Amino acid sequence: MDDPSQGNSDYVIEMNHIRKEFAGIVANDDITLQLRRGEIHALLGENGAGKSTLMSVLFGLYKPDGGEIRKNGQVVKINSPNDATALHIGMVHQHFKLIEVFTVLDNIILGAEDTKFGFLSRKEARARITELSEKYGLRVDLDAKIEDTTVGMQQRVEILKMLYRDNEILIFDEPTAVLTPSEIDELMKIMKNLAAEGKSLLFISHKLNEIMEVSDRVTVLRKGKYVGTVNTKDTNKQELSNMMVGRPVQLVVEKGEAVPGDVILDVSHFSVPSRIHSRNAVSDVSFQVREGEILCIAGIDGNGQTDLVYGLTGIEKSNGGTVSLCGRDITRLSVKKRGEDMSHIPEDRHKHGLILDFTLEQNMVLQRFLEAEFQNRQFIRFNAVREYTQELIERFDVRSALGPLTRARSMSGGNQQKAVIARELDRNKKLIVAVQPTRGLDVGAIEFVHSELVKERDAGKAILLVSLELDEVMSLSDRILVMYEGEIVGEFDPKKVTVQELGLYMTGARRQDGKGGATA
Amino acid sequence: MKESFFQRKGVKTFLASLISIMIGMVAGIIVIIVVGLTNSTIADSTIWDGIRLVVMGVFSKGRDAVGNLTFGFNPAFFGNMLFRAMPLILTGLSVAVAYKTGLFNIGAPGQYLAGICATLFVALSIPTSSVAPWIVWTLAFLAGMLAGALWGCIPGLLKSLLNINEVIACIMTNWLAACLVTWAFDVSSLKNVIEGTKTGYIYKTAMIINDYELGGVVGVAGPELPEGATLLATRGNVATAKMGLDRLFAGSQVNGGILIAIVFAILLYVIMEKTTLGYQLKACGSNRHAAKYAGIHDKRNIVLSMGIAGAMAGAAGSLYGLSGNTEFFWATYQSLPAVGFTGIAVSLLAVNNPIGVIFSGVFMSFLNVNGLQLTNQTAYNENITDVIISVIVYLSAFSMLIRSLMEKKKEKPKTASSGEVKA
Amino acid sequence: MAFLIRQTLLYAVPLMIVALAGVFAERSGVINLALEGMMIFGAYIGVVCMNVMVSLGWFDAVKASGNMWSMQWYVLAAMAVSAMAGCLFSMLLAFAAISLKADQTIGGTALNMMAPALVLFLVRVTAKQNILQLSSGDSATWFMVKKAMWGFEKSYKLSVMGEAFLNKVYLTTYFCILLFVVMAVILYKTRFGLRLRSCGENPQASASLGIDVIRMRYIGVMISGALAGLGGCVFAISTANCSANGEVSGFGFLALAVMIFGNWKPLPIALGAILFGLFKCIAASYSTLDVNGDGYFALANLGLNANFYRMLPYLITLIVLAFTSRSSRAPKAEGIPYDPSMR
Repeated sequence: MDDPSQGNSDYVIEMNHIRKEFAGIVANDDITLQLRRGEIHALLGENGAGKSTLMSVLFGLYKPDGGEIRKNGQVVKINSPNDATALHIGMVHQHFKLIEVFTVLDNIILGAEDTKFGFLSRKEARARITELSEKYGLRVDLDAKIEDTTVGMQQRVEILKMLYRDNEILIFDEPTAVLTPSEIDELMKIMKNLAAEGKSLLFISHKLNEIMEVSDRVTVLRKGKYVGTVNTKDTNKQELSNMMVGRPVQLVVEKGEAVPGDVILDVSHFSVPSRIHSRNAVSDVSFQVREGEILCIAGIDGNGQTDLVYGLTGIEKSNGGTVSLCGRDITRLSVKKRGEDMSHIPEDRHKHGLILDFTLEQNMVLQRFLEAEFQNRQFIRFNAVREYTQELIERFDVRSALGPLTRARSMSGGNQQKAVIARELDRNKKLIVAVQPTRGLDVGAIEFVHSELVKERDAGKAILLVSLELDEVMSLSDRILVMYEGEIVGEFDPKKVTVQELGLYMTGARRQDGKGGATA
Repeated sequence: MKESFFQRKGVKTFLASLISIMIGMVAGIIVIIVVGLTNSTIADSTIWDGIRLVVMGVFSKGRDAVGNLTFGFNPAFFGNMLFRAMPLILTGLSVAVAYKTGLFNIGAPGQYLAGICATLFVALSIPTSSVAPWIVWTLAFLAGMLAGALWGCIPGLLKSLLNINEVIACIMTNWLAACLVTWAFDVSSLKNVIEGTKTGYIYKTAMIINDYELGGVVGVAGPELPEGATLLATRGNVATAKMGLDRLFAGSQVNGGILIAIVFAILLYVIMEKTTLGYQLKACGSNRHAAKYAGIHDKRNIVLSMGIAGAMAGAAGSLYGLSGNTEFFWATYQSLPAVGFTGIAVSLLAVNNPIGVIFSGVFMSFLNVNGLQLTNQTAYNENITDVIISVIVYLSAFSMLIRSLMEKKKEKPKTASSGEVKA
Repeated sequence: MAFLIRQTLLYAVPLMIVALAGVFAERSGVINLALEGMMIFGAYIGVVCMNVMVSLGWFDAVKASGNMWSMQWYVLAAMAVSAMAGCLFSMLLAFAAISLKADQTIGGTALNMMAPALVLFLVRVTAKQNILQLSSGDSATWFMVKKAMWGFEKSYKLSVMGEAFLNKVYLTTYFCILLFVVMAVILYKTRFGLRLRSCGENPQASASLGIDVIRMRYIGVMISGALAGLGGCVFAISTANCSANGEVSGFGFLALAVMIFGNWKPLPIALGAILFGLFKCIAASYSTLDVNGDGYFALANLGLNANFYRMLPYLITLIVLAFTSRSSRAPKAEGIPYDPSMR
């Protein structure tokens, strides 16, 4: 390895000994990253390892507390995205920075517009962009509005934005998270093209397959610290994984055999309209969940899982089929009526799970404040609410500054999630709908949530789990359904299926009813 | 832990409001000074009079023999201050309740008009010769509240069913109310024809209006009937009870309405803070999605909240009309009652706390009375108080934000890290 | 007919320009509820300005010279001063909404209370009555463009269109229409317009492209204030007979409604303003309205109450909003203070 402390003009970008703190938390601690001209350099690390912070420092969004950045061996100061742009550094953010109501063309030129007599010269811009998109194989429709385009095209727009600005250093922040597999393949090709044309690429990811496929070198971060840089061809997935987590990956959930009992949830030919387009987001879905089992719905984000849950829980209206819960037809019932037999750990704790301006205790009785335990002639029994909250706090280890009186907003994300889970599990309903219950949690908290869910299963609850993490799907579920484009395309036994096989179904390459591809 | 925390928060809120008031007053005084100095018709001594009256006009006891202002306790002004505080407290409550549900009720003027209109119709139409005045009073008051509530429900319904922004809907319903009220009185027989000195006013509710018949022709008269006329019915003679306040504040207009306003404030405080209804309303106001998720009927609560808000503004108009001697200018289609807009200031100054609204309402009417003294005794006029009020509203736009920031800072550092790792 | 067109334009033009004022603020991401207040302030400053010019004897000099066209320069000057006043006044909103991240609805409401209070206070101190008028003459004598000014004989009969657009009109009307077009072009065809609009949709994206969101929003609100102040001045000159009394008949709020159902886009706003102008015109003069000039007062003969016509603009607004609210698209980031640390 090169000595990182010396400036070296072999490197187009060097970030030496970067340090960045946020309110006492060290997000980057003495991190060094060196990018060679024309290489694809992967930056690997778990959620929270400090990858995004480091890239934000490079892009001028954060000011580092220590360390230096060099370009072509010269020390540079990057205080704003403008400085970064001037140094020809460009970034594709994880959440695209696009104006939805603008056309693709306007989005690409925004911030780097050429004008003639004060007017935008869109014609010249169009010619240049067309040339660029042909050169790198970036297909876009310049006159389409962003809101009408696919995620894949939006990403190509982001790449074109960088190329239009003649950027040499291109940062990709988890670019594959939102893409379909075929779009991922296309992106990989584009990235190789770009490198071949002399661009230097920084590629942030925590997906080992992609890193192995596309990168030349890998820098690994763990918990804000620099672990090391290796050549991709000299390493393997296992080694990278060990570097990333510091221990061999082991996601094992202690659980016994499931003993399924009666049918609790019976979904039949169920459809939910889309909030975005005119097609159904969920179409003609049928399945059952029995007591004592965890049924998992797997799939890539955006294939109708969210809408299915909204439809089942009554947040959105369904437009076809029936749902019955504990033998009662709930298809037309209100959220409240459904809640009599169902608890729901929502996907988005800030949007649905909590009222952030309420205190913890107020949040704990969100569905239950009308129960006799918590009100007397419509007057809330504050003591009962507080005692109840105190009990849940202790049982689920929810940590907060002021106990029951803490504002939900001021709690950490992990504790917010724990509070929601505590509330929902304690409602003690026959059916538990859990959507990405471990999102944003650290390993310890994830284990806790998993063991709680297994406990509930063993107590005879029916659990419908929606998860995007294949590890979680494989280790926690007793049965797996795969959703693709609003339909269920396969049912599996986790003990008999491989992740690779699930992947084929999740990406639409196969389906069990024989409509597409070969049957399993 | 709980006690000290809430105490400190309360103190901080109070201090923030006090600072807003001070800055507002200083702004008003600066305007007075600048206008006084640049306007050649205003003497320097008048500037000093103006400043004193803006700050403590309620205590003014007129000018002495040599023309200097004198100050002291003036029961009439104090009583009038309480009288004017009554509608302000109620419209303030109206805005506050809606705000707790996440709605900006700029429709209080329209709801106020709906209230005063319904009240006057009921109070002046039912003959008190056959129905006891207190029953008429009660019916008129309830009608006013109901009319206000219905008028408030309209933007509520538009918001919950059609997702029309309540601010724009309220503005439109305000002007609709103004036109409708004008229309209703225009075609009514309630225009004051007995006291013919000024035109364009409705009967005062405390008047005695006699319907008589003379030679086959029906007419109206005051207490004195024309000779030979037969009395058909008597209307009017309806007014809010004084409840002894007139003796306490001699020479003022004050009546029991202020007590009703205070009772409403306490009632709303209890509802918002102690009951399941208040819990639901606040839940909807803070996070509509979460409320929906929890099975709380968000759309119903929006309408309900606007209904309660409307009822409060309606009560304001109603009690104002029922005080007996207030005159209502009926051709109001070109202007909206200022008291409705001032309600926004009252509510914001009180940080939307119903109990706080009582005090901020009294404060705003204190400014009003000061302003009247300014008009009566100097070359300045009462509009300066509206300038002060608008400055206070302006400050409250970001003082709430500063307060919530202070709160957040207090709570955050103590949180032990656990659970989540920052992505 | 000519009267109807002329009168409709008179009402429509201030609405149109003030609605566009709203567009500039909201497209940059700031809700401007204070259009009404800014109009009131602009109207007052405009009238004060005119009064100063009257007292300096400038208008009499023009009259003496015989060339009434040169009077229009003074009108434009007053409009410019009003625009500047509106711009200054809007800084209050910009400061609260952008720099202090205040609640924009409340901030706007405060300005809507402040403008009439301040104006009435000043009017009553200076004019000793509730309304400030020109000390001599009025709008019609000084500023109106009449057919004689085009060189037509008094007896010459203009066509309907000529009568509508050339006789007894105000130059302000045409100036505003021109300004409207220019501003719309700026919004859509220039670098500045593109950047401004991006700040109202996704300021984080704009910032990532090196656009100074805070600055763009300040400029947006200040343009908004200038246009609204100018609109207030136009209102004072053409519809309020060059007087100021701390109100503009709710035109600022109507302009807000026009902006919303014009979907924050210039062309629909222009059409909406004309629709509103028509209804305002009908409300003001339905009893004497004789559309085809046959001496038959169709609307008056319907026998409807005047208040019905007065309600129409507001009623129509609500109905139109009810139908369009689902498809209407406010700038996505409007009302949300821009916080650079949020990404």
